[in-house]
Amino acid sequence: MSLKRRTISHIRLISLYWSRYTVRSGSGLVYLLIALIFGLSVAHIIIMPVEQLMARQEKEIGKVDPEAIRNTIIDIGQPVTQWVLGQKSIKEIIQQSAARQRSRAKGSEDAAMSAEEQKNNADFDPWTSFLLERRPALLSAIFLVLLFGMPFVISFLAYNQVSGDIQSHGLRYLLLRTERSNIYFGRFLGTVIFSTAVMAIIVVTIVFYLGMKTRIYPALDLAGWAAHGFLALAILMVPYIAVCSLISASVDSPFLALVLAKLTIAGILLLAILGSLAWKPAKYLMYALPWGWQSNLLHPEPIHLLGATLGCLVYTAAFLMVGYYRFESRDL
Amino acid sequence: MNEGKRPGGLTALAVINFVFSGWGLIGLLGLAAFFAFVGKIPTDEMDEAQKAQIEAFQNMGVSVFVFIFVLSIISSVLLLLSGIGYLKQKKILGRMMGNTYAVVAIVSSVISGMMFAPELGGGFNIGHLIGLIYPIITLILLNTTFRDDLTN
Repeated sequence: MSLKRRTISHIRLISLYWSRYTVRSGSGLVYLLIALIFGLSVAHIIIMPVEQLMARQEKEIGKVDPEAIRNTIIDIGQPVTQWVLGQKSIKEIIQQSAARQRSRAKGSEDAAMSAEEQKNNADFDPWTSFLLERRPALLSAIFLVLLFGMPFVISFLAYNQVSGDIQSHGLRYLLLRTERSNIYFGRFLGTVIFSTAVMAIIVVTIVFYLGMKTRIYPALDLAGWAAHGFLALAILMVPYIAVCSLISASVDSPFLALVLAKLTIAGILLLAILGSLAWKPAKYLMYALPWGWQSNLLHPEPIHLLGATLGCLVYTAAFLMVGYYRFESRDL
Repeated sequence: MNEGKRPGGLTALAVINFVFSGWGLIGLLGLAAFFAFVGKIPTDEMDEAQKAQIEAFQNMGVSVFVFIFVLSIISSVLLLLSGIGYLKQKKILGRMMGNTYAVVAIVSSVISGMMFAPELGGGFNIGHLIGLIYPIITLILLNTTFRDDLTN
């Protein structure tokens, strides 16, 4: 067997074993539980008001009007989505909302739209329009929250890829049979496989529920957008797992690796947000991790989408290589 | 399998069991206190949804309350016992009690969904799925991943 084929078969074996072992070791179990509870809670918080609206509509007019429900979701979701995507500031959204209320108040006297509202409607950007009008808005809202929240959760799964074995010197026995690179990349791949499987469970559960219970979107639209959202979530997790690989290879205590992974992932975002209040350029700190551009994974323009996907892969490669260099050169 | 070789996942499962058991028992105290005072809560200044919720609680029969109460106690006790069983890697106390907890939790979730008024979270909604996550994971793991670890 050639060296290349042997390397691939070793990485495959280690990754498959690791993706199964991760539940037995505890970290996978805790991640599975937290990720499922977080994912379904987000869906519950977003879907519940819509279900209440549907119940009220059924009580009042005797039937559910999906068109009216969809329009209400778009009305409520538009300012929030624009803020989340960074298209508008809180100040602009408040001004827009006030202008709309003023326009509605005098709507009985003057049916024509005010110049202010016309301007605001013209400001309804293509990205927000794509997420809320051309795709199932409820699912878009859930994906946006998951894209933001899941990076905080992933470290529960990925923090202990090698640090525990470095601490216990258990890797020395494994190194008699395979190379360091196979262990490092195999465990990284195993973690990615497990994370992707959990994302699939979350997305399938939410979409199945939306399709079977709420029935306000066509099944085909739901399935298509769900596949896109799943891929976006699965790809986004990869660079964050690579960050955890780097940290795990650098320290020899699983607990310290978890703390550092949490501090790195959340700390960079927090520093960028708080720092930018005092010094504007501090916001660029966000780009040290995918925080600054990860929403582009749900962008309608293929160039943005491909850019974000490529960004994830480049960040992954960079973090993995630095981590591998550290793992290869350290005392085990 | 001896205790020294207990997998980390089984320890994690035991700790989660203790936490959920504690939460369940505290929740039961809260439920009992709420049920005792629900008739005395003034609903005049509440909005329609809150009023409907309180009224649904007031109209809930004592038998339904006792049924939920007993099921919750059984679940909490089973969680506690099976948690101890996981730590000691016992077949009866761990695997059997854990499986029994999972089945009781799934059945009670389905029954409470059918018995509760919609104002109290009755019917089927995604919130019920969240309640089913842990019992389902327990059921799967005890009979696959940790099956050979609970043999003492």
